[in-house]
Amino acid sequence: MADAAISVQGARKVYSTPGKPKRTAVSNVSIQVESGTIHGLLGPNGAGKTTTLKMLLGLVRPTGGTFEVLGMDSTRPSGRRRVGFLPEQPYFPVNLTARQAMRFYGSLGGVDAARIPERTTALLARVGLADAERTELSKFSRGMLQRLGIAQALLGDPEVVILDEPASGLDPVGQRDVRNLMLELRDRGVTVLLSSHQLSEVEAVCDQVTILNRGSVAAEGDINALLNVDGRTSVRAMNMAELPPQVVSVAEEIAVSGGMWVFSMPTEQTRAVVDAIDEAGGTIAAITPKRESLDDYFAALLAAHTEDVAS
Amino acid sequence: MMKRIWPIATAVMMDSLRRKVVYVVLGFAALLVLAIPSLPDYGLGVESAVFREVALALSYVTGLVVVLSLAANRVPAELEKRTVYNVLAKGVSRWEYLVGTWLGILGVMAGAIVAFTAIEMVVGYFTYGELMWRLWEGALATWFEMGVVSAFAVAVSSVTGPVVVVTAALAALFIGHSRSTLLGGEGAMALRPFYPSLDAFNVVNPVAHGSGVPLVYMLSMVVVFVGFAGACLSVGVLLLSRRDL
Repeated sequence: MADAAISVQGARKVYSTPGKPKRTAVSNVSIQVESGTIHGLLGPNGAGKTTTLKMLLGLVRPTGGTFEVLGMDSTRPSGRRRVGFLPEQPYFPVNLTARQAMRFYGSLGGVDAARIPERTTALLARVGLADAERTELSKFSRGMLQRLGIAQALLGDPEVVILDEPASGLDPVGQRDVRNLMLELRDRGVTVLLSSHQLSEVEAVCDQVTILNRGSVAAEGDINALLNVDGRTSVRAMNMAELPPQVVSVAEEIAVSGGMWVFSMPTEQTRAVVDAIDEAGGTIAAITPKRESLDDYFAALLAAHTEDVAS
Repeated sequence: MMKRIWPIATAVMMDSLRRKVVYVVLGFAALLVLAIPSLPDYGLGVESAVFREVALALSYVTGLVVVLSLAANRVPAELEKRTVYNVLAKGVSRWEYLVGTWLGILGVMAGAIVAFTAIEMVVGYFTYGELMWRLWEGALATWFEMGVVSAFAVAVSSVTGPVVVVTAALAALFIGHSRSTLLGGEGAMALRPFYPSLDAFNVVNPVAHGSGVPLVYMLSMVVVFVGFAGACLSVGVLLLSRRDL
């Protein structure tokens, strides 16, 4: 396995309030995030995603477990100095301008004072706030605050970036920008841990995912390996009025649109199906491993996990 | 360490300077200072002493209102609005955050007390033809005491809301100035050394009616200030470090 930029082992958090029953928010979560990858952290509300991130960043005291970022204990302040963090729904002192806020966070993060103005200009431009540098944050929309949150997380060129719901409050263009930004970061070797409800976003950018449910890990691994359906292949073919009978006999989930046939079949039938389409004069546009959507996978996984817990 | 504490203190000061409450309180208090000479029934020869005494009292009350308005709400608001996440995630320790916040409030208090004492000096000079330099000794004592009060308020505010903070701070002030009342009896005299008294900062008599505060006493005030503020902040750091944010 490549170097782990982030390592969470046996994370556990039990909230205890005097006079009330103890509440377990995270029972046993382990996450390994390889350097230079984008790792998705998924789960329904209350699964323990944000609590896990907060423990990783020293905002919540863990009941148990170890938390490391770049080999250092991240529950200690010194272990977080190479980390950029975007909290869910970030808030800022509203009487500052965007530029002042960046200067504040830059100086806290140890960015050289002479470099802060230059980095501020570049990062605000990168997140689409170039025109709002001198605007007071009280006049910022929800989406603008989110963009500023991303910009401050990237101050100081962190080697690890942790983003909690980065697309929250953003319009579709903003969401696309965030996706592109994450891919850019990965290309530069930055490790990204992304917690998100937006499954399409996770599916589009993540290399690995960890899915949490009820405070523990329900599934983890390479996103392609998780979503590919074992033993089945998807085919897209065209230039045929109808599918040949040999294909119809093995194909499932057949759909046609604009002259393009789409269906799945057992992988071992691939050779026979390709030959049949050739003989029928059709053209094969694509043959790929059949892949579930992350939405379907996620829903099925949670349903199965809930049944396991119930039984 | 100071690289992280100083920006927090500066942010607190800049934020405080934008708050209207500071200016309203200072303005109102300045008007009262202007009105002191109009108080009736001064005895001959004691007018300036009465002026100094009332001026010190006004400085104290003004400082208290400003410090409570700043210290009681600062940390709870940052925790509630989660602005503290961005700060702590940058590798700032909780103690650095708390001490930076306190230093920022202390800085605002210094500015407010200096401005207020300067007004008192000017009013005193034009009314009595006397430069009342000893008021600065009183100002320093007030600043020290407000530093302790703000450290206490910041410590309490790390685990509770503004109403409790203000109530607790006022209770602490009452207790801090009630040693002779509460431990006046001979049976309780042995407890005196352990009593958290703030009387060390009470320099009204030497400033208003005497010949000023001796240097040695000033130095002892510094020790009391550092001791009490340090103890309060240590408790605050301990409380905040045990808190889930």
